[in-house]
Amino acid sequence: MRYVNWLTAYGPTYLNALGWTALTAVLASLGAIVLGCALLLIRLTAGRWGKRAVDGYVQVFRNTPVLLPIYLIYFGFPLIGLPWPAVVCGGLALVLQNGAYVSEILRGSFRAIDRVQFDAARSIGLGPWHTFRKITLPQVLVYSIPSLGNQVVLLLKDTSLLSAITVTELTMQAKLLTEQTGAAYEAFVVVAVLYLVLVSATEVFFRAAHRSVRWTH
Amino acid sequence: MIEIRGLKKSFGATPVLRGVDLHVDDGEVLALVGRSGCGKTTLLRCINFLEEYDAGEILLDGQPLWYRAGPDGARRRVPDQDARRMRQQMGIVFQQYNLFPHMTALENVCLGPRFTQQVPAAEAEERGRRLLNRVGLADKVDAYPAQLSGGQQQRVAIARALAMRPKVLLLDEITSALDPELVGEVEDVIRSLLAERIMMILVTHAVGFAREIAHRIAYVSDGLIAEIGTPAQILEQPRDPTLKDFLRRIR
Amino acid sequence: MLDVRTLSLLLQGAGVSLLLALGSIACATLLAMALCAMAFSRWTAVRAFYRLYIYIVRGTPLLVLALLVFYALPALDLKTGPYVAGLLVLTLYVGALFAEVFRGGVLAIPRPQWESARSLGLPPGAMVRKIIAPMVVRYALPPYINVCVMTVKASSILSIISVWELTFAAREIIERTLAVFTVLGLAGAIYFVMCFGMDRVGRRVERRLLAKGFVGAPV
Repeated sequence: MRYVNWLTAYGPTYLNALGWTALTAVLASLGAIVLGCALLLIRLTAGRWGKRAVDGYVQVFRNTPVLLPIYLIYFGFPLIGLPWPAVVCGGLALVLQNGAYVSEILRGSFRAIDRVQFDAARSIGLGPWHTFRKITLPQVLVYSIPSLGNQVVLLLKDTSLLSAITVTELTMQAKLLTEQTGAAYEAFVVVAVLYLVLVSATEVFFRAAHRSVRWTH
Repeated sequence: MIEIRGLKKSFGATPVLRGVDLHVDDGEVLALVGRSGCGKTTLLRCINFLEEYDAGEILLDGQPLWYRAGPDGARRRVPDQDARRMRQQMGIVFQQYNLFPHMTALENVCLGPRFTQQVPAAEAEERGRRLLNRVGLADKVDAYPAQLSGGQQQRVAIARALAMRPKVLLLDEITSALDPELVGEVEDVIRSLLAERIMMILVTHAVGFAREIAHRIAYVSDGLIAEIGTPAQILEQPRDPTLKDFLRRIR
Repeated sequence: MLDVRTLSLLLQGAGVSLLLALGSIACATLLAMALCAMAFSRWTAVRAFYRLYIYIVRGTPLLVLALLVFYALPALDLKTGPYVAGLLVLTLYVGALFAEVFRGGVLAIPRPQWESARSLGLPPGAMVRKIIAPMVVRYALPPYINVCVMTVKASSILSIISVWELTFAAREIIERTLAVFTVLGLAGAIYFVMCFGMDRVGRRVERRLLAKGFVGAPV
């Protein structure tokens, strides 16, 4: 019963925070995917040094917690003359971190493409950019859909860390409500449920996307 | 016409082509046969520069391909753009996995003309439909490769190669990976191309088919063309001992 | 710029992070074994509980779980500090991850090996110990190492519930001195060494186990 009262009182507040969480997650995911594609392109076309650079980038972000880039950008950018809003700083950190993981996912999918296709592309005269755009990228992205879905879920959960830099997303909202009203359980249980809903919705979306690809069946 | 002189290639320390000389006329059909590992596929791939080669020349209609002498006289690869232009004059069909799985048959066929030859979309599509009709797949223009049989895929691959209007068609064991009952439909398409007098070089195990359509058969052994002649000469009066052995084994 | 005091604080923080991570890895492994047994239980209700547990723990951000536990513990009248809350949360979270890894390991065992094991007619305890467990270890070891590395990284989130470890120390120092780039760069380097090192150690263990013909290559 008290949850019903709670929700009627704070429903809109939660929805506002939910909006921020969802928006940040969507934009950061898109950014991470674009960054991942760019890293794949560099890996494929920039020779030995390109591969090493991308590997280095990936290793750095795989072996450090995501809070560090978040703090680095949030606290550091104002010091170098870029006082961006907290949500942009946090979003950028999420893009940089997840872009590394996305590039590894894409790299795995790239291996699944039969080498003969690249011979075929060369034989009909396609240059490297056209080969990447029309042959490599579409297949790599489609093969990566399940793993990308996982990664987006992880990114979604990581948006909760933006509460540490004052972004009013779901987790921050729960903290604020707890401080205002002292009702910790209600505040956080509702937020946990909302995250579960978001995560489930994301998983449903990616499963549907996977099934909708006609050419693999 | 194609002229090959002294073609040599090694993979690391292993020589695969040891100085191949070959001349193929316009409109001629040449079959390359030989045991596995003799170098026939490598030779084919060198012709359209899917493999680099270490020495020798390949000329198409008198023009040297793939390498030219640099200012210091040393042998140098031509720039990628020129290589791509040269490649467009040859079409190649591989043993399998030819088609791009994420595109329909029509899109596969139109891709080359549209993006390499800058043919406008409508014209490329018309050309594509005509070619698919020609290989007997007019009703499959919007099918994806996964929905096509192996034989149908190979026919689309032939259509795609022809869409570039090549001077030469290179065929690398195009029926070897097919179930036996699908081989016939692909061979029929090749037969129908004879009337167009397009130069074809095919690597094949199907000696019977080679006898039927080839003007000459070249027997490749150990990186060299050991014997070359009309089908009658090669198959009935072989002179090279390894060729006799080879024929005995495949009979 | 490289303050000895800063470095020493960070290294102490790293020590705490490592202890937290290793402690939760140990507890979580035990928890995961119990959970995994539940995943294969005969009773539907038990299996359903497993799936619900996994669903909740994997669908909620670690931070939210941590805050829930952090706020809930005092309310439950347990006299504990942030360290216990942190260890508890990390154990519950990583335990779910390990349970899925073990479950995957069990499912990866090829059917012929199950059948040979059963045909030997061993009592269930011995069968699990001598036959199933080694095979699960072989298939589950690489993802297990991954989760261990993830645990080290996840420990940094506990800084938000006032657990003093490496990230907390770094943030403290930054808020005092504004040496953002050096301090965070250093903290990042320390995490890198810990995670990369753990990954390397794990791979060496994996190689050792395989070399001894532990279970042999996968079928």
